[in-house]
Amino acid sequence: MHMTPEALFNARRHFLKLGAGALVSSTAISQLLAELPKDLSLTYIPDPNPQKLTLNTLEQASNYVNFYEFSTDKEAPVKLSQKMKTSPWNVGFFGEIKTEQMLEVDDLIAKFGLEERIYRFRCVEGWSMVVPWIGFPLYKLLDYLEPNSKAKYVKFTTRHDPSMFPDQAKGIFASIKHPYVEGLRMDEARHPLTFIAVGMYGKRLLPQNGAPIRLVVPWKYGFKSIKSLDLIECVESEPLNTWQEQNPKEYGFYANVNPAVDHPRWTQAKERLLGKLTKQATLPFNGYEKEVAGLYAGMDLRKFF
Amino acid sequence: MKALLVLFALLPLGVAYYTLDNAIDPIKMLYNTTGIGAVTLLLLSLVPSTCKRICHINTLPYRKTIGLLSFMYALLHVSVFVVLDSEFDFVTIFEKSLKKPFIYVGAIAFIIVLLMALTSFKKLFAKFSKYHKAVYIALLLALLHSFWAQKVAGVFEYGIIFVGAILLGERVWMWQKNHKIV
Repeated sequence: MHMTPEALFNARRHFLKLGAGALVSSTAISQLLAELPKDLSLTYIPDPNPQKLTLNTLEQASNYVNFYEFSTDKEAPVKLSQKMKTSPWNVGFFGEIKTEQMLEVDDLIAKFGLEERIYRFRCVEGWSMVVPWIGFPLYKLLDYLEPNSKAKYVKFTTRHDPSMFPDQAKGIFASIKHPYVEGLRMDEARHPLTFIAVGMYGKRLLPQNGAPIRLVVPWKYGFKSIKSLDLIECVESEPLNTWQEQNPKEYGFYANVNPAVDHPRWTQAKERLLGKLTKQATLPFNGYEKEVAGLYAGMDLRKFF
Repeated sequence: MKALLVLFALLPLGVAYYTLDNAIDPIKMLYNTTGIGAVTLLLLSLVPSTCKRICHINTLPYRKTIGLLSFMYALLHVSVFVVLDSEFDFVTIFEKSLKKPFIYVGAIAFIIVLLMALTSFKKLFAKFSKYHKAVYIALLLALLHSFWAQKVAGVFEYGIIFVGAILLGERVWMWQKNHKIV
């Protein structure tokens, strides 16, 4: 059976549309050119997957999301986010760095290149998945930005655009405080596992997964991995992250995956791997203990949860 | 008519059964289906007496059926907790889970509904019906449990609290009115 690859199929359709457009007017052509979607597939260095992790499917990872800017429901953001305009998308870099600036996502990709990282992802709610992210480690970006000696933390902020994110337009009825804020200590941010993702499963991020650019910190609960980044700032004091502000008894700044420290409402000892009817043990630091435990040497992880 | 009610109430379970294979988070899906079923039916079980007082339509004969259906959903909900979520690990259940307000609030609500179900048949009901007022405690606890089940409460959680407040409010109001006359 002969099948046309998806990208080629779309390209052909656009070519045909362009041909038809040429007969109409030149403004129509330029409009169509502007709408021409970028090739969604990415070129990257694959992850050899030394731990032999079994991937969840793209279908699972893209239809079960926490994206409160759209809805508190897990599936509703899929439909609600499809009109999201993710290109062009500028990210602002401010604070204690050499030169404050804005950069477009494609410029970042050109500067830092792309690699794949197959990571476990553990949500504080008790479910987990394994996802092949595409992006670059955050330290490459920080090396480029050259934080100064006052920069002790990195603060991340989701874009605030009520026309794009319906929950941000709800005022006091919003599900959480907007815009969403997260933070990392500088040594956590510079850790080689800390990752900026622009894609997953070989393609650009889907809107509902935090397009076009997001953070992924695999040893922390999922809410640390902030979506649709608008700002990255190097700051002097610990940022107050959204969930800690929302409920400081239940969510802290560190949010390291820890089966020994329960959430006040449920235990964290085990997790539900998406697609499975049986549970599996949750690993300390989500299986990255060897790599990251040193960052927290001497800290009481019950107190700094 | 009762058979129709039962069939209708069991429909979500059928849906859950057929979607289980493709469910992304199957345990959570079963928790949601059974939990929403139990609390919704518990609320509905309060409607017949309200209905009789306000719109003078007698649906009281359905009250027991609705209550028992709610109990059945609650039983399934607890089974999901014991069998799938805790995997029969009773040490963890008693030493960790049941110490958390979210869990014991739900457990107390279940025990109340369980006792009501056991005493809902002729002989025992005559003896224990006065204790069935405990349904109001069960409802309040179940609403609290639902509220805590999500990271932040959404439309459904606020919706059932609203309906619950109306049903309970009407009873308080009637009680006050009757006591003024006396």
